[in-house]
Amino acid sequence: MAVAAALLLLGSLGWMWLGSLLPSSYAVTAMGPPDLGGALTGGHTSHLAGASGVGTPAKAGTRDVTTLVERRQGTPDVAVTITARQQRVTIAPGLTVTAYTLNGTTPGPTIRARQGDLVQVTLVNESVKDGATFHWHGYDVPNAEDGVAGVTQDTVKPGQSHAYRFVAKQTGTYWYHSHQVSHEQVVRGLLGALVVTPREGIAEDADVLALSHLYAGKRTVQGKTGDVPVVVPSGRTARVRVVNTDSGIMPVWVSGTAYEVVAVDGTEVNEPTPVEGRSVLVPAGGRVDLRVRVPSGGAAARVEFGGAALVLGPAGSSATATRAPRESVDLLSYGSPAPLRFDPDTPDRRFEYAIGRRPGFVNGRPGVHWSVNGKLYPKIPMFMVGEGDVVRVRISNSSGETHPMHLHGHHVVVLARDGVKATGSPWWTDSLEVRSGESFDVAFVADNPGIWMDHCHNLPHAQEGLIAHVMYEGVTTPYRLGRDSGNSPE
Amino acid sequence: MRGVYRVLAFLVAAEVAIQASFIVWGDAGMGKWIENGGVVDKATMESAFDGGDAPFAEFSAFMFHGMNGMMVIPSIALLLVVSSFFAKVPRGIAFAFGVLGLVALQVTLGLLGHSFSWLGALHGINALALFSTAAWTGLRVARVTGAPRVEKQPERVAV
Repeated sequence: MAVAAALLLLGSLGWMWLGSLLPSSYAVTAMGPPDLGGALTGGHTSHLAGASGVGTPAKAGTRDVTTLVERRQGTPDVAVTITARQQRVTIAPGLTVTAYTLNGTTPGPTIRARQGDLVQVTLVNESVKDGATFHWHGYDVPNAEDGVAGVTQDTVKPGQSHAYRFVAKQTGTYWYHSHQVSHEQVVRGLLGALVVTPREGIAEDADVLALSHLYAGKRTVQGKTGDVPVVVPSGRTARVRVVNTDSGIMPVWVSGTAYEVVAVDGTEVNEPTPVEGRSVLVPAGGRVDLRVRVPSGGAAARVEFGGAALVLGPAGSSATATRAPRESVDLLSYGSPAPLRFDPDTPDRRFEYAIGRRPGFVNGRPGVHWSVNGKLYPKIPMFMVGEGDVVRVRISNSSGETHPMHLHGHHVVVLARDGVKATGSPWWTDSLEVRSGESFDVAFVADNPGIWMDHCHNLPHAQEGLIAHVMYEGVTTPYRLGRDSGNSPE
Repeated sequence: MRGVYRVLAFLVAAEVAIQASFIVWGDAGMGKWIENGGVVDKATMESAFDGGDAPFAEFSAFMFHGMNGMMVIPSIALLLVVSSFFAKVPRGIAFAFGVLGLVALQVTLGLLGHSFSWLGALHGINALALFSTAAWTGLRVARVTGAPRVEKQPERVAV
């Protein structure tokens, strides 16, 4: 009797443990089950949950991700070679860390292009042991250029190099980072900014990059700690391009003057209004562009990052720091509405992306893990779309912790939060903070075929299995995940 | 097996004590960091997990508390239940399940405390309940199984 009870208890746990182990090598397309978003039935209630083996038999019209490259040939307008190393680096006096550098610095070089330029970036891995890749965060590049190890390419091992090519179609503020062992490599600085300006230039007088990153718990802006002076003449405006490269949400606010939020995740805000006494919250991986006018009396304006600040003004000017405001800008109602390029009310696919938390095993590890639609990694759904589909997703979070959700290769527009419709400027985003207890209705047009990660950009959470994919029908990948493949995108 | 049962019960109690000491150690380290001008926000906390350099050394106590509480202690409690099937301690199975239940409650309260801070306060109180129950589960083995029945010796009256 005792033996039977013990066997029953341990046996069922052992069965669950065994079932959670990942194969030593597997294709991302073998994750599943596929969720067709109601496309076959015309309703959204009968997902084909339970079916397995997406994209198993090669069908007519099957495309390999390696064919989904930039079509434009010719000499690139912007050509950059970036060498990645693992080394000790001194960020500031008393702050020396083991980091990943790009051309000897972290953050790496800023890649600047003008809209329409053909951009070519060659990653040379000199000494990053696990290999590295460049993912273009927020930039809707062709799938083969997306830089996800094991999904769109193999990791670039020490001694190897890999060239990325894409046309700079979108303007705005973006960043690039490794998508191989990213929870470690991004934290340790394998990243940089990508800025694309319109050909006619920007409306502001100064273009100021403000990429924030924490090194050993110390916040830096453009790799510098404390107050970072930036000379901008009195009365002039600056476009401050804020990039949050860390794994948690970051409030940014301005002391000494009002400001406007002129772009979110690379998309211009329609008719931004002045903000005073409020912060703007930048999700992990997210960007905002702020327009800041330096006061005319000779004083400076401070862009505050909590532990670091940009001091914009004439040489030697200063401003009094202020505390983080309690209120923040609500992007759901900020700016003025404008027509969308598509009709989100007649979607071809509807998906639920419900984030929860439950006990179980992920790859043999016991714990209370993140779940998607009640399932643990890798049994979380594969969101299947067809090219040209209008896709609606309800992202909800009941997991007890906040999650910055990031969809690769696309921008989604926020339609509603907790059922309250968006009334401001169209809120296009690629990095959306979904707090516990919140739900968002978002929509996008499936116009960039491939296999795209749709994951939490709190990178340790991604490593813990909070990763789903949006997959276009008929797209396959020759790349493999798992410990034998050397690819570990999380 | 009775010895194993007893040791596992005491181990749960000892683990609860370790958990209490670690969480306060981490909090004290964070207090010191802030006192010396350090800044803590969501990004700081998250970047310190996995591969990141922690802002203060005591940060590792938070990580230990999480992993120990969500993986190690539930495993010990589970083994306690399994051993109770063989230990033949009167009501030993009930006590083992009691410990397991309190562990499950403790993990739940700890996680829900991230959303509702007052549940975090209950996490502190439940820790005392779990400690006492686990310790008593171990202590009562000798009492109810009559192994070394020292205290039950008939008293001799001095003449």
